[in-house]
Amino acid sequence: MHTHRRRARVTGRVVACALFGILAVSTLFAQEAQLPSILVARQLAALEGIEIGDEVELTSGEPGGDIRRFRVIDTYEPTPDPMQLGVASRGVRMHLTDLLALTRDAATPTGTEHVEGINIALQDPEDAREFADDVNARVVGAYALLAEQAAGAGNTFVVLERFHMAIATVTIVAATVFLLALTVMLVEERRATVGVLRLIGFPARRILVQVLIEGVLLAGVGALFGLVLAVVSEDLINRFFQWQYDTALVFVHVTPTVAATCLAIAVPLGAVATVVASWALLRSGGLRLAKR
Amino acid sequence: MNALACSWRSLVRQPARTALGVIGVAAVGALLFDMLLLSEGLMISTRNMLESMDFDIRVTSTDQMPGRGPDIVDGPAAAALVATLPSVSSVITLRREDARINQGDSRPAFGSVVGVGGGFGRPWTVLRGTDVAGDQEIVINEFASQVTGAELGASITVRARCADGATSPPPMDLRVTGIAEFTFDILGESSVGMTDISLADACGTPGAIPADFLMVKSGGDPAGAAADIDALSPALLASTNDEAIGQLQQRGFTYFRQISTVLTTITVAFALLLITVLLTVSVNQRLGEVAALRALGFSQGRVVLDVLWESVLIVGLGGVLSLPLGALMAVWLDSILKRMPRIPADLHFFVFQPEAIWIHGVLLAVTALTAAIYPMLIVARLPIATTLRNEVVG
Repeated sequence: MHTHRRRARVTGRVVACALFGILAVSTLFAQEAQLPSILVARQLAALEGIEIGDEVELTSGEPGGDIRRFRVIDTYEPTPDPMQLGVASRGVRMHLTDLLALTRDAATPTGTEHVEGINIALQDPEDAREFADDVNARVVGAYALLAEQAAGAGNTFVVLERFHMAIATVTIVAATVFLLALTVMLVEERRATVGVLRLIGFPARRILVQVLIEGVLLAGVGALFGLVLAVVSEDLINRFFQWQYDTALVFVHVTPTVAATCLAIAVPLGAVATVVASWALLRSGGLRLAKR
Repeated sequence: MNALACSWRSLVRQPARTALGVIGVAAVGALLFDMLLLSEGLMISTRNMLESMDFDIRVTSTDQMPGRGPDIVDGPAAAALVATLPSVSSVITLRREDARINQGDSRPAFGSVVGVGGGFGRPWTVLRGTDVAGDQEIVINEFASQVTGAELGASITVRARCADGATSPPPMDLRVTGIAEFTFDILGESSVGMTDISLADACGTPGAIPADFLMVKSGGDPAGAAADIDALSPALLASTNDEAIGQLQQRGFTYFRQISTVLTTITVAFALLLITVLLTVSVNQRLGEVAALRALGFSQGRVVLDVLWESVLIVGLGGVLSLPLGALMAVWLDSILKRMPRIPADLHFFVFQPEAIWIHGVLLAVTALTAAIYPMLIVARLPIATTLRNEVVG
């Protein structure tokens, strides 16, 4: 859980080195058994110098709130959140019963506390919608949502994905123009060659097919080169940004879908650009093309 | 004919190639312009919002950003303590909680309720009606008014859901005295403004009036007043607007600055590659023509200058076109990013700043010059006799 409204206070480490003999060790084990355990966010542990095995005191932050002792049994990596980039997580995770005991006020009887939500993993995820409908029909005071609905259309990740898609669209437009300009010039350069081919009897269709194949090959090689570059740089980019923000968030991930989308866009685009650039040229007569 | 006119004619002679080059630079330049607007946009927008509130210091209980850390347990007492400082002009307490509001059987509106206590100044501007004067009065934003149909004088029911409040706080009927624009209004969400006492009642904890943070107006020296507040109590941490912006630069939304830097670098490199290839291929196709000009008496410097002017013209025309194109794109991209949850309506990711035009111009100028280097070298080193002979024999 996050400790937005909880105040954590580190009281110090267990002075294990001060305990001697079997009796002392037994006492320590007995204390450890009694203290409830918690996990501390890796960043909080680093900030406060908390180590595994330390005792910490937690309070709900309410005036006069109970102060309870816990033992840190491990650290955890907080769920990455792009909205929290650069913000050191100050979270701890504990058993729900311990949290309720810590935050329950005197007027709330045990067992009547509320929770904000319940995450449910089904045996068969395909049943999610049916299960949610069933819960909504049977349980009063709770509302079941599919995980993707709970995230919402305005979810940060969804919005960032749309933003990246928009940037990618603009980049594709610019790249297309670049490609067209390049192919126009390359075709112009081969004007005389095409003219000679026409004069010795090659039909325009035949030359167009050749140009198309060239375009597909060039675009394919270019797209593959781009993909290889992306895969090679993927780890580098992730390592840099993960170091920069001290997060486990994955910034770049070349999935098979992404790779297929890139190929599906780049190869036809390259082929079409080549054909479009060649079209006007091939409509001219052989003599006109071949003349110097 | 001077070099500029000669270059212009060279470009006009090949309209398709020139048009594609200019469009390519315009597209890349527009993206570059947008990334420059993005790099500082969020900071400028946040600063504008903070300064529009006429308060120059925020006081919290920890070094967390306002609203993200623990509450100040007794807001009015903390405000009263801070108000005793001679360097402080005015103090208000702010507490924000989630709420559901409706008028009678109207469709409920979901949003936030802000409880304010203390001195002068409120985080909203009344557009119609009057400000909150008592504990049974509220102001609502236009969105809440539209959804619930509540107008001035209407009674609406507020059901607050408070982080530290009762599990089932009682619904409260309150009178709308004004329609207001809230400084941190979120697009498509209702906002309700009331006193801190009303909010404590709505949370079902009438005796407890915590505050998310205090907003303080200094007597003219924000840094001095912040230092005085820090010295006042270890439970209070003050930060000026400048410090808040600094925190945001370090902690929040740095992702957009990073992506802006990365994309600026990529777009400049892309533009450089585009112009270099265009000019190089163009020059290679006109080697015979250039050699003939040299043979006619054109100096080496003159033909090199022709190539440079071609680069400048393509980048210049594309760069000019990229500004309106970039402005349109910025509006589009801003509307995408503003769909993020909990983003205030007045906050913008892409904000125009005069410096962006200068930097954009300088980057494109450097690109034009750099892109022209290789084709200029080709022209400068061109062997006149050999080229002419090859042209004739070829």
